Amino acid sequence: MVKETKAKYQSGVDKGLVAMFLRMSPEERLQANDNALRAILELRHAYGQRKTNKRKFKRSS
Amino acid sequence: MGSVKPTSVNLSAVLEGLIEAGVDFILVGGLAAVVQGAPVTTMDVDIVHNQSPENIAKLLAFLKSVDAFYRRPDDKRIEPKEDDLSGMGHTLFTTRLGPLDVLAVIEEGKGYGDLLEHTVEIEFRGHTIRVLDLKMLIQLKRSSTDPKDRQRLPVLEETLRQLEEEYDREQNNYKKNDGNQ
Repeated sequence: MVKETKAKYQSGVDKGLVAMFLRMSPEERLQANDNALRAILELRHAYGQRKTNKRKFKRSS
Repeated sequence: MGSVKPTSVNLSAVLEGLIEAGVDFILVGGLAAVVQGAPVTTMDVDIVHNQSPENIAKLLAFLKSVDAFYRRPDDKRIEPKEDDLSGMGHTLFTTRLGPLDVLAVIEEGKGYGDLLEHTVEIEFRGHTIRVLDLKMLIQLKRSSTDPKDRQRLPVLEETLRQLEEEYDREQNNYKKNDGNQ
């Protein structure tokens, strides 16, 4: 298992992930990118909110 | 930081809108790599457009239809003009569908006419789009000084390697089947 993981990342690239994407249609790949993008923006927003809440908490205490 | 944000981010919708508006363009950049199978994530649509007056008029009409304005660090809202799209620069927009970069030329000063022969046609929602092929994308990224491009390069190279391997396998199978008949 460790050997497998080592081989997978030897070039610094997850070859399995590449193979998985190549099995998708172009439209599915675009959809995957859109979904990833939405998740990234959502997480960034959540992180921004967390920072705002922290500031608010500090101010009130 | 500018506080004007797109109302949604849907890069597929940006692409579909461009196609439906009849804009003649080549998809380049990160999204070109995505549609060809590279597992990377990109935040915007990059296109190189045909700079004929008719096409610029179509592109401008599309940009207006999606409330495009220049992406800037401040909140100033500047709308696109015809002259901007006929120049040789990069025009970077925020639209209500998501960010769209309209590029007259990319690396090595290559424009629409130079890139056409290095494109592949891809079916997308019943339409055909021209996409800069992976080989050319890699070639251009190799000369790029952008750290983001250098970082992505191994992923693009691995994707091309697997694609070529698959192509060779298919060719061999075809030859084998042909020989058996």
